[in-house]
Amino acid sequence: MTSPTLEVTALCKSFGSVRANHDVTFSVDAGELLCLFGENGAGKSTLSACLTGLYRPDSGEIALEGTPLRLSSAADAIRHGIGLVHQHFVLVPDFTVLENIVVGSETGLFVDFASAEARLRQICESYGIDIDPNARVEDLSVGEQQWAELLKALYFDAKLLILDEPTATLDVEGSKKLFRIIDKLKADGVAIILITHFLEEVMQADRVAVLRQGAVVGIKKTAETSPEELTRMMVGRDLKRQTRQSTPMGTARLALESVTVEGLGERPDLDDISFCVHEGEIFGIAGVAGNGQRPLMEVIAGVRKPKSGIISLDDTVISSKGVHAIKSMGLGHIPEDRFAEGLVRDFSIEENLILGEHRGTFAKGGLLDFRKMAQNAKRLIAEFSIAAPSGETLVGNLSGGNAQRVILAREMQLASKVLLANQPTRGLDVGVIDYIHQCLFNKKAEGVAVVIASSELEDLIALCDRIGVLFQGRLMGIVDARKTNLEEIGLLMAGHALETAV
Amino acid sequence: MIEITRRQTVGYRARIVAYLLALVMGFACTSLLIWLSGASVMEGFSALFEGAFGSEEAMLQSLVAATPLIFTGLATVIAYRAEIWSIGQEGQMFAGAMSGYFASLYLGGAPMVVAVPVIILAAMIGGALLGMLCGWLKSRFAVNEIISTVMLNYVIVYFLSYLLAGGPWTAEGSTSYHQTALLADNFRLPLIVSDVKLHIGFLLAILATVLCWGILKFTPFGFEIRALGANPTALRFKGVNVARTILIVMAVSGALSALAGVSEIFGVNYRLKGDVLTGLGFTGIIVGMIGGLNPFGALIAALLFGALENGSLYMSVLSDIPPALVPAMQGILLLFFLSASVIVRYRVRIRRASYV
Ligand SMILES: Nc1ncnc2c1ncn2[C@@H]1O[C@H](COP(=O)(O)OP(=O)(O)OP(=O)(O)O)[C@@H](O)[C@H]1O
Ligand SMILES: [Mg+2]
Repeated sequence: MTSPTLEVTALCKSFGSVRANHDVTFSVDAGELLCLFGENGAGKSTLSACLTGLYRPDSGEIALEGTPLRLSSAADAIRHGIGLVHQHFVLVPDFTVLENIVVGSETGLFVDFASAEARLRQICESYGIDIDPNARVEDLSVGEQQWAELLKALYFDAKLLILDEPTATLDVEGSKKLFRIIDKLKADGVAIILITHFLEEVMQADRVAVLRQGAVVGIKKTAETSPEELTRMMVGRDLKRQTRQSTPMGTARLALESVTVEGLGERPDLDDISFCVHEGEIFGIAGVAGNGQRPLMEVIAGVRKPKSGIISLDDTVISSKGVHAIKSMGLGHIPEDRFAEGLVRDFSIEENLILGEHRGTFAKGGLLDFRKMAQNAKRLIAEFSIAAPSGETLVGNLSGGNAQRVILAREMQLASKVLLANQPTRGLDVGVIDYIHQCLFNKKAEGVAVVIASSELEDLIALCDRIGVLFQGRLMGIVDARKTNLEEIGLLMAGHALETAV
Repeated sequence: MIEITRRQTVGYRARIVAYLLALVMGFACTSLLIWLSGASVMEGFSALFEGAFGSEEAMLQSLVAATPLIFTGLATVIAYRAEIWSIGQEGQMFAGAMSGYFASLYLGGAPMVVAVPVIILAAMIGGALLGMLCGWLKSRFAVNEIISTVMLNYVIVYFLSYLLAGGPWTAEGSTSYHQTALLADNFRLPLIVSDVKLHIGFLLAILATVLCWGILKFTPFGFEIRALGANPTALRFKGVNVARTILIVMAVSGALSALAGVSEIFGVNYRLKGDVLTGLGFTGIIVGMIGGLNPFGALIAALLFGALENGSLYMSVLSDIPPALVPAMQGILLLFFLSASVIVRYRVRIRRASYV
């Protein structure tokens, strides 16, 4: 019998008092897809970092094709044929996709860019990835950056590929494409570890390893298990899906009239957008990633200025106001890219939770009110079950989902009138998604106008009252979430106009 | 096999050990240079030490030399914590000295208690305005601050040259000295210890150190400085006016640099001339970096460099060691300190190669 591609035995890794991985044992065979499934902070990213030389395990063994392995760096891992797609991108924004892939990985003094580019194009073609190797990373959307990360891993013929939540930043089409690529890799005998919070994706794997608080609580063949069983293993209880409550909607709270926002090129980022959101309404924004969701949120929050058009909140025009003034009127904004726009990595949870309010609520006599900061953090950490040793923990050391909770906690507090949420549940485990949906419904009950953009169409349909669909910066139509279906939204997302307006 | 791993946290003790090691290595390297230059290493160092710490007077003199470096070091700390890579401490210090002098021209026979504060204030405004100019260019036109500050350094220094080389500020009959006339008594900074010219600028420097530390740690503005350095986008998304914050940071940094100019001109030399200021701004950058961009770190580094500066005078008199060795030594120390501050974040272990 040949040895499995990867065999991990009794791997442990702690950060101070936090046991991120404890006695982890599992294996992956060549051509097999293994899913790692577990709550936020269960230790999935830490495990992949240990397998790729980014962290050194405290104890335990890693064997690649039967040979014990001791990795000293990420480059070392690549040499051994282990590739990793990071949960949080590690791309240099100023560099092109090609440069990002080549620099730091090609050995030798001079880089043969021409042949590297040819190789990259060939990979793109064979896997059907549509990305320009010479595009600068900072000009790419989050989804495209995800492909760039994947290309980086595909560029080296990996025996073992670890994908840390790649589908969190992809839309439905993107995820399908990713699974086609995975199938192709499997056929070539590559062993794949996939981390995801989506149960449908988990069920497409060959086997699933469920992690809880750093330990493997079970490994199942997907053919012999069910989503319900996996969830139970993961959170230790059953989940019930939140259902829409029909609270009566009030008067118009947030209104956009012919809002146009300029883009970099010819096409405006937002083109003549008009809609309004009522008190106690949840308004969904659907659309293929990069069709204007981000500019829409940013223009309402005041981060960007419209070229023309009027935005008003409770009859006050806010399109001429600054971010701070708008926010002070009771608007919370959950941005799309948590570490780029929402958080300061090198700041503690306490500090991140007061970002923006550091001159207001949390200042006393010209100084920061540390007592209040600590109390605030303690309360929100409990309320949003943020897994962290204390409020002084640096946000950069939190797991992805827990970092997301810090933003959620901060912005939910602010949103007394309007809540803008761009992919708010991205990277959250199913347990919390449930909680967040509950929070959204609470906001709805309080009369807050909620605008939520998500790539999870089913979530949108379940949560929202109405859904607006964006295509190339234009609002293709607004549908009633109770009456619509996936096909209708899908058509609008592809740019087909609506026949019967709502 | 040597293993290098990143430490999760760096303790104080590890830091202190690393820096002491850097100091020792720096001195070892300098010894090599002295030895190569043909002079006696022992003699050189004992003269340096004698000059810096040999007597009470020598020690006080070291504090005098440290004073401007504390200011320019703090100016560096404030700007660099916000990740604004200003190289303009030199020019802002000149601008400060010049604005102070300019103010003094209108103060006539005003009593010292009025004249000195006005001069200090004028200097701070001068330095702040120059700093703000670079801040404005950065936030308004995305002009890289490294370039704008370096360019403006030249502009200011040459402007002073013009003023002093036969220009309006040149002292009568001393065109060739490039200096102004001696300052009147009421414009001079009061002395704490008169024999060595330890002036109140030193006390101001200590006060400024404590203030900078307090601002960074305890105030909303300090919070913004640190956040600006770590993630300006997040700050913008939370409604902080980033352009304004940059302006204020550069104003504070410029005002601090200006105080270095005031110290040297109004506290020690009593006349405005360029050569006594030259280099103090650039050394301040080294001081700030060695101090780990921490105000108290900068204070300690400035005291060290002040002592070096002061001891080197003595050394060049008493031994054959060229005084140019002191800047070389400062450079060497900077390299070792910066290396130490990086290396201390890693753990190096030697393991027998029992694995593949
Ligand atoms: N560098 C670090 N320093 C301290 N603690 C850390 C560090 N990295 C991770 N942790 C902690 O280890 C635990 C596991 O984190 P990890 O990132 O592996 O979780 P995860 O399973 O990937 O979660 P998510 O689904 O949210 O991405 C968390 O409690 C986290 O706070
Ligand atoms: Mg993770």
